Amino acid sequence: MSQHHHEPKEEPSLKVNRRHFFSQLSVGIGSLALGSLLIPDLFKGETKDLATRPLGIPHFAPKAKRIIYLFQAGAPSQLETFDYKPTLRKRMGQDLPESIRKGQRLTGMTANQDKFPLMPPKVGFQQHGESGTWISDFFPHTAKIADDITVVRSMHTEAINHDPAITFFQTGSQISGRPSMGSWMSYGLGSENKNLPSFVVLTSRGKGNSQGLYSKLWSSGFLDSKHQGVLLRSGKDPVLYLNDPEGLSRSDKRHLLDHVSSLNKLHHVETGDDEIESRIAQYEMAYRMQMSVPDVMDISKEPESIIKLYGEDCQVPGTYAANALQARRLAENGVRFIQLYHQGWDQHGNLHDEMAGQAMDVDKASAALVLDLKQRGMLEDTLVIWGGEFGRGNYCQGKFDPNNYGRDHHPRAFSIWMAGGGIKPGLNYGQTDEFGYNVIENPVHINDFHATLMHAMGLDHEQLIYKYQGRRFRLTDVAGHVVKDLLA
Amino acid sequence: MAYTLKNGKVDYVVFGLSVFLIFCLLFESYIELPVLVAWIGRWHPLVLHFPIVLLLIAIFLGLTGRKIPRNLLTIAVISALLTAISGFFLGKETGSKGDLLFWHQWLGSGLALLAALWYGLEGLQLGGKIYTKMIQVVIIGLIVLTGHYGGMVTHGQDFLALPKDKKQEIIPKNPLIYTHIVDRILENKCVKCHNSNKKKGELLMTDLAGLLKGGEGGSTLVPGNPEESEMIRRLYLPIEDEEHMPPEGERPLADNEIQILEQWIALGASDTLRLNHLESSQPLAVLIKEMMEPDPMEKWTSLPKVADSTLGNLASDYLTITRLAGATDALKVNVYMPPQYDTQILMDLIPINRNIVELDLSGLPIGEKELAFAANCPNLEWLEIDRTPITDVQVDTLRNLSKLRLLKVYETRIGDQSISLFKEWKNLKSLYLWGTQVSESALEELKSENPDVLIENGIDEEIKSYFVASDSIPKS
Repeated sequence: MSQHHHEPKEEPSLKVNRRHFFSQLSVGIGSLALGSLLIPDLFKGETKDLATRPLGIPHFAPKAKRIIYLFQAGAPSQLETFDYKPTLRKRMGQDLPESIRKGQRLTGMTANQDKFPLMPPKVGFQQHGESGTWISDFFPHTAKIADDITVVRSMHTEAINHDPAITFFQTGSQISGRPSMGSWMSYGLGSENKNLPSFVVLTSRGKGNSQGLYSKLWSSGFLDSKHQGVLLRSGKDPVLYLNDPEGLSRSDKRHLLDHVSSLNKLHHVETGDDEIESRIAQYEMAYRMQMSVPDVMDISKEPESIIKLYGEDCQVPGTYAANALQARRLAENGVRFIQLYHQGWDQHGNLHDEMAGQAMDVDKASAALVLDLKQRGMLEDTLVIWGGEFGRGNYCQGKFDPNNYGRDHHPRAFSIWMAGGGIKPGLNYGQTDEFGYNVIENPVHINDFHATLMHAMGLDHEQLIYKYQGRRFRLTDVAGHVVKDLLA
Repeated sequence: MAYTLKNGKVDYVVFGLSVFLIFCLLFESYIELPVLVAWIGRWHPLVLHFPIVLLLIAIFLGLTGRKIPRNLLTIAVISALLTAISGFFLGKETGSKGDLLFWHQWLGSGLALLAALWYGLEGLQLGGKIYTKMIQVVIIGLIVLTGHYGGMVTHGQDFLALPKDKKQEIIPKNPLIYTHIVDRILENKCVKCHNSNKKKGELLMTDLAGLLKGGEGGSTLVPGNPEESEMIRRLYLPIEDEEHMPPEGERPLADNEIQILEQWIALGASDTLRLNHLESSQPLAVLIKEMMEPDPMEKWTSLPKVADSTLGNLASDYLTITRLAGATDALKVNVYMPPQYDTQILMDLIPINRNIVELDLSGLPIGEKELAFAANCPNLEWLEIDRTPITDVQVDTLRNLSKLRLLKVYETRIGDQSISLFKEWKNLKSLYLWGTQVSESALEELKSENPDVLIENGIDEEIKSYFVASDSIPKS
């Protein structure tokens, strides 16, 4: 285990640019003349960097050691999942009052509508557990774990379209290019198991209306590429190009790697490019992953009771249930951040039927995952999150039709749930108004959400900083507050 | 004014010592002291008393217009330089210089060099000039400051501070919110200025009556109404604000302390309210419980130091060692199944056994030796030995791990015999033991004896059967 430190590595002379030159020059002249008398440290060998925090270790004792993020891509409606609003039934068909909408900008799909007829959910709602959490009838299995999860009904974001919204959730910025949350965790906390990547991505797709997923969502941005999310595919080749071609033995492979590595090291000495080092490390990890990945992906040893718990479809590679079970296995094997995406939650029309199908895909397996983690004592140090990138409007998209309605995007309020790893169980946090449109109590912004996750993982979101192109970056950039009320 | 070399050799000594001192200071990081020279540093605490007294006498004579005996000044200045140099040597012995030592060193050196300058000016017959007098005044100031910092280095920073009796006693299990929590916060942060001797703003904060009575600023505390309470208003003001309390320079209240005061006032500011009167989900109850919970980092401070390089040497591809947090020596060890498992992988960790606080051996073919190793980690709080071939006999060797907080032994062959052991561990909070041979009755017994322990005996049968009955494959 090597200890990295935050101060920038000594850069070779070729890498000195104009900015470097001037900053060095001014410091040089000034300090030689005066500094030696005023700043006695100047002649000391060591220099103290600004926020020096050792990397690869939590800043303080963490509650959670890993995260499983069950991302519901496309944005499931809060009004058909966890935010029960009887007022919508009473006012069904009436226009959304301007006093509630308050000029909220709309997408091109509904911006030209002259009426915004309020639409209640067609699905029933009931309270569950001792916590009395409202959960829609789409989620009978999630209802069984009502006291293990904490529902946050006061999430809000700025983005109104899928791509910026999901990019914001994953990277802390609506504009792509920043490192993904999982990459930040990998950067800040390091890897628990050197034979697997610390950030793994699994995707699945429901029958509902889908939006694209791009690998930029799990990119490491300007961080070292070893922190990038690794997409595990279903089927016989979970990681592309990981398997050796036929006829190549493992010892031949070893020789090959040793030679490539010595050449790469030479090149590194010449250019000082850190990416070369991380490439060497990745070759080595890939070599070990040839053994560890098939082992982790092999669910044949899972007992019948576990298969039944997650649902028979967990034996079908590429389903959400299979990914959920896989997520547990990866978590057991020390993967820091396991990102699932289930596509198909973008219900602009035919909402009731499509959501029923989507919920069917994820409800049982999500709840089973929480139960399974709980019995293994992993809910003590694994944080599970379920939710989409924004909410959905409380009015019909297009004409009012109670039998076949859809909902447009809505950034001002939506619901997610979290379980385990340092989050209080059975809490109902935050509140929206009676229309389910605006947050009226305990709002949680995406930045706050990130700050809170990082806190649970033992990281101070204001201290995990990376300097790139002359500017300092954080996952929460210049915002974000830890939501202490959510922490156990 | 002709320069007269009165005292040739001595002048050179003063000049030489000054140059040497400057040299030391500038090239501090390059200097390695021989042992004998370092030993000279030990005389610093003795020598330092001479220049203080002698310089003060000389300055007293100088400033009162009397003649300063040349020899007095010479001895004073040379002793000042020697003190500074010996102090420098002594300072080299401490690894890292804190703020106190930093200031002490630079003030002291400045003092010695200024004294040497004064000596030079006197030699040039410039003793009567106004700037020489100024230098003497500055020297007095430097003597006071250097002495003060030096005193703090040896006697501790709070040596001169007025005696305080901070309330640091442990909070009882079911505290009275006012007496044990609120009063403690006020005592530590407010009472210094609002007590019966020093009643700032006419406000007395030592008892509830005083708080209710209020001060010049109006109602300090309005029961049930934190918004109207002057105290809360001032706590929330920006720190630069004149009215912010505590005033600038004093230690401000922590966020959770402010919240506790606020919540306590909101609930009526009672002095009979106890923690168990509150619902456990009440924000005040949560805040107080948080306050009562000892910081885990605190209990790890006594662990032996362990270097990063040691950890690097011990770790391998299948064995990860990490610090539980940045500034601790508490370690977490995870072992993953290597292609060829060898018991030796753990035995190499014996040198750091006291540092291991979390150990994960789940799913490995472990036996007697590994458990004996675990038993030899006295600070273990978290142990995962689930899905392993261990039995009661081996678990019994763990008996002395009294700090154990969490134990995972599910899917092992342990039985009722181990239950007696679990009963003994007073710190045990979570126990995962489904899929073992532990009987229902033994479990009941354990539950009744340790009601605080979370015992996980697998997913509830009712929920399990519900999940099994309803399939998730959509019927299409």
